[in-house]
Amino acid sequence: MTFKHITEEKLSLPTEFPALPSMGGYVLFAGIVRDINDGKQVTHLEYEAYSEMANQMIANIIADAFQKWELQYAECIHRLGKLNLGEVAVIVSTGSIHRDEAYKANRYIIDRVKHEVPIWKKEFYINGSSEWSKGCVDESHEH
Amino acid sequence: MKIQLLSFAALKDFFPPKQELILDGIHTVFDLKNYLQNINPDAGNLIKVSRISINQIIVKDSDTITEGSIVAILPPSSGG
Repeated sequence: MTFKHITEEKLSLPTEFPALPSMGGYVLFAGIVRDINDGKQVTHLEYEAYSEMANQMIANIIADAFQKWELQYAECIHRLGKLNLGEVAVIVSTGSIHRDEAYKANRYIIDRVKHEVPIWKKEFYINGSSEWSKGCVDESHEH
Repeated sequence: MKIQLLSFAALKDFFPPKQELILDGIHTVFDLKNYLQNINPDAGNLIKVSRISINQIIVKDSDTITEGSIVAILPPSSGG
C-alpha cells in the first residue's frame, strides 16, 4: 500500500524544481543509509511504519510548517522496507520566496518526522546480528 | 470490552503484530499498559517509553478506551 508521504518504492531525488514563479529559494534534504552506527558496521536497514497514521502525521507536520512560515512549497516522503547502503530513506523539500523560510521549514519538518512519526528502523550488522533502533533520545537534534 | 491491539518494531518481540483482546476491568490507557506489562514483564521498559494511539490519535494515560477501539503501542520513533 502506498500513501502520499509513505512508500515502499525506491526514492529518487527530484530533477526539477516545482514550477512556482515566485519561489526564490529551494532546499532539499535527503536522509541516506550510512554504513556505521554507534561504531557498528551496518550492512542494510529495514523501515516499518504504522503507515496510515504516519502518512497523516506527516501531512499535519507539513500543514503546520505552512502555518509557521510563508512557504511556496513543502513536501516529505519516507521509504519503508529493505534499504541498502547509500539509498535514500527520506526526502524533505521546501521552497519559499527567500531562502530563510525554506531552510527553517525544512529543518522543522525533518526534526518532527524523526521524533514524532511512527516509523521504525531496524539495523542489520556485518556480524549477522540485527537490532531495532532505540529511537531518538537526543534533544539537541544534532544527528 | 473487545479491542484490537497493534504492536510495532521491537514490541513485536513480545506481542503479536495484531491481536484481538477481550478486556475486563480495563478502562484507561494506564490500565491497559499495566495489563500488558503484567502479561509480559520483559516488555515493561519498552511499554513505559512508548506512546499509545487509539484509532490513530495519540492519547494520554488517563484517556478512556472504548469498545471496538484500535489501540496501537508505538515505541520511540526512529525514522529519518
